[in-house]
Amino acid sequence: MPVVKVLTEGIGELNLRDIDVYRSRGGYEQWKRAVTSLQPAEIVDLTLKSGLRGRGGAGFPTGRKWQFLPDNGHPRYMVCNCDEAEPGTFKDHMLLEETPHQILEGMLIGSYAIGSKHAFIYIRGEFKRGYAIFVEALAQARAAGLVGDNILGTGTSIEVTVHRGAGAYICGEETALLNSVEGRRGEPRLKPPFPAVKGLYGEPTVVNNVETLATLPYILKNGAEWFASVGPQRSPGYKVVSVSGHVRKPGNYEIPLGTPIRELLEIAGGPREGRKIVAVQPGGGSSACLFEEHLDLGYDFDTMAANGTMLGSGAVVFFDDSTDFVRAAHALVRFYAHESCGQCTPCREGGHWLEITLERILEGGGLDSDIDMLLSVSHQMTGLNLCPLGDSIEPFLASVVKRFESQFRAYVRKPAVSVAV
Amino acid sequence: LVEAARQRDFASVILEVKPEAERLIAQYPHSRSALLPILHAFQNVEGWVSPEAMATTAEWLDLPLSVVESTASFYSLFFRRPVGKYVLQPCRNLSCLINGAGEIMDYFREKLGIGHLETSADGLFSYEEVECLAACDRAPCMQVNLEFVYDLSKEKIDAMLTAMRGGTSEVAPLPQSAAPAKSWHVGQDTTKKSPGAQGVSDPNDPGGMGDPSGVRMIERLNRDPAPLDARPSRERLIRDGAARLAAQEPEHGK
Repeated sequence: MPVVKVLTEGIGELNLRDIDVYRSRGGYEQWKRAVTSLQPAEIVDLTLKSGLRGRGGAGFPTGRKWQFLPDNGHPRYMVCNCDEAEPGTFKDHMLLEETPHQILEGMLIGSYAIGSKHAFIYIRGEFKRGYAIFVEALAQARAAGLVGDNILGTGTSIEVTVHRGAGAYICGEETALLNSVEGRRGEPRLKPPFPAVKGLYGEPTVVNNVETLATLPYILKNGAEWFASVGPQRSPGYKVVSVSGHVRKPGNYEIPLGTPIRELLEIAGGPREGRKIVAVQPGGGSSACLFEEHLDLGYDFDTMAANGTMLGSGAVVFFDDSTDFVRAAHALVRFYAHESCGQCTPCREGGHWLEITLERILEGGGLDSDIDMLLSVSHQMTGLNLCPLGDSIEPFLASVVKRFESQFRAYVRKPAVSVAV
Repeated sequence: LVEAARQRDFASVILEVKPEAERLIAQYPHSRSALLPILHAFQNVEGWVSPEAMATTAEWLDLPLSVVESTASFYSLFFRRPVGKYVLQPCRNLSCLINGAGEIMDYFREKLGIGHLETSADGLFSYEEVECLAACDRAPCMQVNLEFVYDLSKEKIDAMLTAMRGGTSEVAPLPQSAAPAKSWHVGQDTTKKSPGAQGVSDPNDPGGMGDPSGVRMIERLNRDPAPLDARPSRERLIRDGAARLAAQEPEHGK
């Protein structure tokens, strides 16, 4: 089975939070090499050739994102997005708590590549322990002369600031994140201008996911070819996948992209005794469900997109035949209604009305027409908002309403029951 | 007298937070970026973000108080009312829910005698059902004062609550600079964001919007589906009946 250990190597066995342990395994060697003997352009080139695509959700090629920065002499900022809150995703949580130095090394390499002198990491407010761990790791690296002024005597200076969020899913959206770093409400900005042109403090900025940056030291170490040769050509490399739901061994598994979903299910221990998987949500709460007939699809960005869903943040939730999809849909709709920042009317109002519609269906007071209303409201919310949050309800809701319509109909026709909501 | 004591106490809070705030401000190219970190620092000392803390933050960062308040109110981890010594936050999102979070939440409500966003009468526990905590592999999970507790069971909850009541819990209690009221929810209700949605108390009565036009709109939609039918889309597909859907997706449903 193709479980690999690249980013996850040593996790659970070694205390990689200690800089000495991390360095004894080759840690910070690539940062040293980059800052002493590589030109920033060489790192950008290497990243482009590796085909690395962003691991946070959108899957945008990292090297190309870096190239959008205008050459206008303004200060540039590198921001690492560790505001992991997509339902079902828990890879960054693990990387942060287990291997903070790997993230820091990636941030330093990325900052150097784009010519940034100040990097930020935005850590989700709930990760109190992870925040403390990263702050300690940063202090260790600073003491070792790897961060700050005149790094290793090369004349290169990169400052790193750790910024803690305070409980808002929307701050994972890059422009909302930048507003939050600036001390504002975490409301997404109108785009364009994109952060590459006007980002943090109005200056050119790159926002990269934790896993994306943590991959950089390995691309430097093993070469672009090594990464590009794994998995499908346009969607290459290794990916940490968070598997949860109705499986026997949920957890983070690092796999080559393109691994069939069925194999992923086996890696995670398979379905529970006497149960059968009927659906899988392959890319976090914002992705549409796939079903039994899709289990042989390869798990990569393009195959997922071609099948009407997405790889997203790499969160795979399996559902077996015991699942009540009406309650599942309600949980996700309630999430998006709760997390809407309220700027755009379709998202703010649509999410709320979908939530109370699902509540009355669950309580047995639903109307037959409610099922149509779920589809029509969620569809009409889509594409009308500043950010993708308002578009995130429809994929899951519509896919399960269509597939498991009989479950929704059964609720509508059932006498009223009390449901804890 | 109470007010005077509070002012005296707050002077010591300021003494404690000020050096930290100065360090935080120095980390950023623009001082406003220190807004969230300073509010965190106040909450670490006081257990909540008090009006005095927001006013002081506004003064330090040279911002209008309204800016600090509106920013603080955006973030759910800033408690703008005093809370209990232990803030219990079980996850209610998908992966936990399909692994028994519903029973866990019911059990908490039963054991604590309080509901979502409420504090127990003894001021010990505050309870909130929260969204995905990024620990889905150990579902159902929760946080206690932001420390993770994994693989929840009723036995685990019993042991946890007993330890907290007996003062033997591993998790440190939050400081409590003021006595909490039953509800710690302030002002804007995130479940009822717009005036149009205010007052919807009964989920089976979608027309209760405080405005008869809403009732009429729902009635019209239910009576006359024409506006929806005019669009040849998935709505139509469903309305035309399950048979048509079944023909297109032979294996649908259970």
